[in-house]
Amino acid sequence: MNILKLLADLAATPTDFHQAASRRATIASLGKVGAKTLAAALPLGLAALPAQARDTRTILDSLQLATRLEQLQNALYSRALTAGPGFFPADASFRSSIVKMQAHQQQHVALLTRVITTSNGDVPTLPNYDFTGSKNNTQAALFPNVFSNFDEFLRLAQLLEDTSVRAYKGAVEFLVQDNYILQTALQLHSTEARHAARIRTMRRLRGAVVKPWPSPTDADITVAGKTAVVYATEHATTQLLPAPINTPIQFQLLPIGSGANLLTQSVPEAFDEPLAAADVEALLGLFTY
Amino acid sequence: MVYRNSFAEIFLYHNLFHHMSNNLKKGGDEAEFAKPLYVPIKRRSFFMYAGATAGATALLLSGCDDDDSGGNGMPGMVDVGTGDIGVLNYAYALEQLEAGFYTELRNGNYYKGLSAGAEKSALDDLYYHEVIHRELFKTALATNAIKALEPDFSGIDFAVRTASAGAAKLGVLDAAKAFEDLGVAAYNGAGKYIADAGYLTLAGKIVSVEARHAALIRDLLSNGTFVGTDVVNTANGLEISKEPSVVAQTANTFLKEGSKINVANIK
Repeated sequence: MNILKLLADLAATPTDFHQAASRRATIASLGKVGAKTLAAALPLGLAALPAQARDTRTILDSLQLATRLEQLQNALYSRALTAGPGFFPADASFRSSIVKMQAHQQQHVALLTRVITTSNGDVPTLPNYDFTGSKNNTQAALFPNVFSNFDEFLRLAQLLEDTSVRAYKGAVEFLVQDNYILQTALQLHSTEARHAARIRTMRRLRGAVVKPWPSPTDADITVAGKTAVVYATEHATTQLLPAPINTPIQFQLLPIGSGANLLTQSVPEAFDEPLAAADVEALLGLFTY
Repeated sequence: MVYRNSFAEIFLYHNLFHHMSNNLKKGGDEAEFAKPLYVPIKRRSFFMYAGATAGATALLLSGCDDDDSGGNGMPGMVDVGTGDIGVLNYAYALEQLEAGFYTELRNGNYYKGLSAGAEKSALDDLYYHEVIHRELFKTALATNAIKALEPDFSGIDFAVRTASAGAAKLGVLDAAKAFEDLGVAAYNGAGKYIADAGYLTLAGKIVSVEARHAALIRDLLSNGTFVGTDVVNTANGLEISKEPSVVAQTANTFLKEGSKINVANIK
């Protein structure tokens, strides 16, 4: 429909030339989100909003927090890939999975960096990492053998991947105003979920009691007051319909079969829960100093 | 085919004016003005700031420029509707498809022949998760819900795990992979059409579980293929997203006549 394309092109004529142009440059470099889909309307739409109606601070905060998580995971996997001989199991699919995940985390950092820079925001500087959780030997370690014991490494990787999934999920409601960033966050989010499932599958293949999705049946790998935050509120046994309804779904009344542990196990498994930014910060703090 | 094309064009023009009047109406909606300032600006309400030309862009966003929209809008299709209701019905349709698939799978000979173990237990879990998702959307939509759709799984052989080379039908894990990957791409592409932050978060709670399903099924098919290059872009690490019109074309191949979905009004 040429007339529609024409109208859209007219609509895309930037009013704030710099902003529209730089956003489009970002999209072009991503090579992912179709220009037709998102390029034209959004910078114009945002540029046209009155300044007080834009909560760019919240969007930027969300992107910065995501960057810090991706940086942390990138560092964890990068160090694991340079660990001593014998760290990875003989089955080559274990190491190759970590190679793929490290590549993604690095790409995610680069992508988020570009988006933040385009918005004139500050990209978080790399902190010092201590993946043992001892904060540079100032407290008891949580993972003393993280780069010599593969199972210990996988436990930490699971905690960080699941946290990442929960963190992106917690952020989407703040991104609802910007469709381009929202869609990008969703695409990061599901990649992280695939990672989390893989780490969990790797642990199961090595004998751990764990499913690809957080389940009340998983063996607990957290420490109270430290890493327990990762699964706090994750195993919700009900879901609230959003406001203004705000009523819990009566799963027990629905025709969802007769599994023995339907409400205590399948319902919590069927939904991943968001994690508040403050809780994500707390977890980040365990491994940085 | 001339006949079909001219029908499609008439439909598109009809839609064009329908969308435009809708946008104008929404833009002037008093309820939009009554909202407190801290409520995030919704997609639709920023059209009123951006002006009428942005409305034209919205038409492009909704895929109305596609002349080959896969028969959307043909008589006998199930219209999922517009706005958040439309997106929720779209999700409901996809969850119906997935739940229906796993229900059929568990009645099939491949599943029945499986001995107890990780794969069987995972297929049970997937069945329960999808039925729970389906019922959640049905409950949320209440009287706005589309009807129960009739699936067409004639392209799937429920007796085999994976199709052998040259087979006409998908094996059950081939189909599971297709459905789970499609579901993730669909949610990734539909999030931007949801205006309500609460429903957006709810969709987020589901899509990551679907992504975990997809990763597991892929690992069951071939260990270590959880992020195939067909689903995660190798250049930027982003999982793919698909527009509703694209997803509907695939989904409709698994739905019977009279149950195929029309998503043209999601915008």
